[in-house]
Amino acid sequence: MNNTVIWNIIRFFVLLALQGLFLKRISDGWVTGSLYINIFLYPLFILLLPLQTPRTGVLLLSFLMGIGVDLFYDSLGVHAAALTATGYARALFLSLYEPREGYKLNAKPTPGDLGMNWFLKYSASLMGLHLLVYFSVDAFSPIYILGILLRTFFTFVSSMAAVLIFVFIFMPKRNSPGRF
Amino acid sequence: MRGLLQLFAAYGNFLLFGFLELLALILVVSFNQRQGAIWDNSLGIATAGLDQSADWLGEQWALRDEMIKLQGENIRLMEQLDNAKYSNTVRQDTFRRDSTEQLFTYIPANVISNSTIGTANYLRLDKGSNHGVRPNMGVISSDGIVGVVRVVTPHFSQVMSLLHRETRIKAALSRSGYFGTLTWNGKNARLMQLEAIPKHAVVAEGDTVVTSGYSQLFPQGLPVGTVKSFDFSGGGNFYNIQVMLRNDLNKLRYVYVIENEMWKEHKELDEAVNE
Repeated sequence: MNNTVIWNIIRFFVLLALQGLFLKRISDGWVTGSLYINIFLYPLFILLLPLQTPRTGVLLLSFLMGIGVDLFYDSLGVHAAALTATGYARALFLSLYEPREGYKLNAKPTPGDLGMNWFLKYSASLMGLHLLVYFSVDAFSPIYILGILLRTFFTFVSSMAAVLIFVFIFMPKRNSPGRF
Repeated sequence: MRGLLQLFAAYGNFLLFGFLELLALILVVSFNQRQGAIWDNSLGIATAGLDQSADWLGEQWALRDEMIKLQGENIRLMEQLDNAKYSNTVRQDTFRRDSTEQLFTYIPANVISNSTIGTANYLRLDKGSNHGVRPNMGVISSDGIVGVVRVVTPHFSQVMSLLHRETRIKAALSRSGYFGTLTWNGKNARLMQLEAIPKHAVVAEGDTVVTSGYSQLFPQGLPVGTVKSFDFSGGGNFYNIQVMLRNDLNKLRYVYVIENEMWKEHKELDEAVNE
């Protein structure tokens, strides 16, 4: 087991705990009183998996992470369905946004390694997709389409902010070995 | 087996993705009350719709059988009418033979195409020479006359509709007994023209027009329509009579082809006369 694997395992549990124990309560109005802010940070785990991770592994980890979050949210299957879709789409977006010279060996999908511009495109695409699928599965009927789109939009803003803060705090340096 | 492995190598991730999504969605509807309720409800609606479609299909089949049975009943009844019989009754001084032979029999058929728009309209029936249909047979529906068979193939037949500019059918006014020729001017699919009724005949609006029985195509006295209006606008010695057809050829489904059992004798006579 090398460093990267260990960091990813740690990130898995940290993000899961952060989402399940802290962010869920914020979305219930725990800190902010009557203000409910939905923040989805756990997809970051899938976003930050190493580029060489086999797609099968990404899918299984997505499902596992989704089920884990579902256990906290008491919504078995909803987050899993959304994150599995996100995990499947990850490879598609990676090839879509591949730089002209290709990905460097051992590059990490972070702003430090691939640039802020690249990371914004990559994370916004996957986060948007994830939230859209999540709220669709959560509503479970096309008649709530307006609500689905509104929730997706507002949650997207807060979640992207959280993702960027997380990345800036824990991965400030280019080619750092990866604190989380 | 190797093919299967190759398939899995090529599409394995997609299959895994599908499997995981399916698993997640099953979990969603099994463990979440709200989504589960929506799922059950949708499933109920879907299966109810399916049930309804299946019922409708079954009814259609039952109706079809019923239809065929009824057509058979109709034929039996129509063939027992007097106008479908040839009467052998001969009255001579002391000699009287009283018997009848079957003159007209009927073949049920379904209309598979129809037009009433142009001035030369044809219908197509789903019965042909295999079922005993021959050219120059009359075609009627339960409401009145329809046309005359022109061409037959083993399974289908082409019928010249009444609504054809060359239609000439002998028809009579049932009250007075005067007969004339029904033609169509190509304008209104419900109106035909009765020509050659002489000026001295008494005609009234609402008079019934029936088949004359002179053409050997139709039994005598089948209702065709009623007199809608009449005038002498042509200036001749004959009425111009507008006949309101009894049957609406725009919505024709089930018809009967009339077979004249003695057509061979008529043909012999015609040929003898023409020689």
